[in-house]
Amino acid sequence: MEWDWAFVWQIFPTLVEGVKITILATLLGSVLAAFVGLGIALARRSSNRILSRSVSFAAEFIRGTPLLVQLYFIFYVLPDIGILLAPLVAGVIGLGLHYGTYTAEVYRAGIDNVPRGQWEAAKACNLSARQTWMHIIIPQALPPMIPALANYFIAMFKETPLLSAITVLELMNQAKSVANSSYRYIEPITMVGAFFLAISLVAVFALRWLERRYGRVET
Amino acid sequence: MKMKTTIAGAAGLAMLASFAVSGPAMADKLEDLKAQGFARVAIANEPPFTAVAADGKVSGAAPDVAREIFKRLGIDEIVASISEYGAMIPGLQAGRFDVVTAGLFMKPERCAAVVYSEPVLCDAEALLVKKGNPKGFQSYADIANSEGATVGAPGGGTEEKLALDAGVPRDRVIVVPDGQSGLKMVQDGRIDAYSLPVLSINDLMMKANDPNLAVVAPVVGAPVYCDGAAFKKGDEALRDAYDVELAKMKESGEFAKIIEPYGFSAAAAMSTSREKLCSQ
Repeated sequence: MEWDWAFVWQIFPTLVEGVKITILATLLGSVLAAFVGLGIALARRSSNRILSRSVSFAAEFIRGTPLLVQLYFIFYVLPDIGILLAPLVAGVIGLGLHYGTYTAEVYRAGIDNVPRGQWEAAKACNLSARQTWMHIIIPQALPPMIPALANYFIAMFKETPLLSAITVLELMNQAKSVANSSYRYIEPITMVGAFFLAISLVAVFALRWLERRYGRVET
Repeated sequence: MKMKTTIAGAAGLAMLASFAVSGPAMADKLEDLKAQGFARVAIANEPPFTAVAADGKVSGAAPDVAREIFKRLGIDEIVASISEYGAMIPGLQAGRFDVVTAGLFMKPERCAAVVYSEPVLCDAEALLVKKGNPKGFQSYADIANSEGATVGAPGGGTEEKLALDAGVPRDRVIVVPDGQSGLKMVQDGRIDAYSLPVLSINDLMMKANDPNLAVVAPVVGAPVYCDGAAFKKGDEALRDAYDVELAKMKESGEFAKIIEPYGFSAAAAMSTSREKLCSQ
């Protein structure tokens, strides 16, 4: 078992192709998770009991089942009812839905954190529900949530190798196909780890900055 | 104090090193396996080469032959683990299995990485396509020349390599985890063709029983490949013992009795040799 630098350079471009897909899937998944989470958080607060109960149940259901199972379901089972999604699209939806149920909790905490007086003041000013949310609640609730949301996005980034199970050619899948034809795992898999570490480290620094910038609740 | 820990560390390392050396240095793998009572084999769950029944029983032509040969060598049982094709040779090298009996076809680069027994199962390649073969595939080159056509194959399998060698770009060769997924992906139109050996495709077709699918077999220009039991380099003695029993079984007709019910031709395996296949 020895490390072969020539082999590393030879497989480097292939792995970079995989990194691109990994980052793309994470970014798209994050955007989707951000919106899905917000939707779930708002629906759960709805005064319509049927809506809030059914969304709560769906969110608990998604959170209680493994992402890999959900990916298989989206990719292999949905075509039976006529929904045929491209592998990357299926992967992004899987990531977005799964992490959306987690980010919903972040939103919930953020919204609950807005002092009760603000709601009352909005009511006293005769603002509509829409105005209250758009101009009073969300602008105050959002900043403290940002570090927590970013944390989930880093977690999501590290879950992307699961997409290799539904034939998305992301980093892990590229490394596996390199290993398949070279019979060597040490370099490709070490490189996968190195790529993830490098990107995570950058993300962690960005997260620290976000925490300094937005982490404090302004009073 | 510092020095003491260094010495202790060095002693520990030396001990580790001696363990590491003593493992593979025990030359007689066959005796080890006999004492252990079982051999660990890698399979793929791709009938009829290798199959795992719902109750976990391992069958298929390759493990059945291996089970019989190991029995004759005095090793009572085989313990199978399912692996992807691409992970078999690295797994063998890492000592996770003692032998690969999975329809891992002999090819020069594989022969260089492992030691093969004499040929066991031979088969040509096939394509699973939609009924009527709408894109008219007869060979892997046809897929390469057909704009945007995709082909599914097991990762690290012979078919993946053949498709790539025929000029199908990497992003149109889809790595499919297992036969059922491949079948489903053809049915759903995610891939235009799914490639496996002829008998495996036929087996899939039979189970799927879907009139909207068709088989192209054999694929034009792809040679008939044969697999063998693949052992780790350094286990040549075990391989040689395996070969002796395999030859005896071929001679007595018991070999044919095991593999022919699965649809394999014993004559095909007996008409060729490892030497020929490894240089093909």
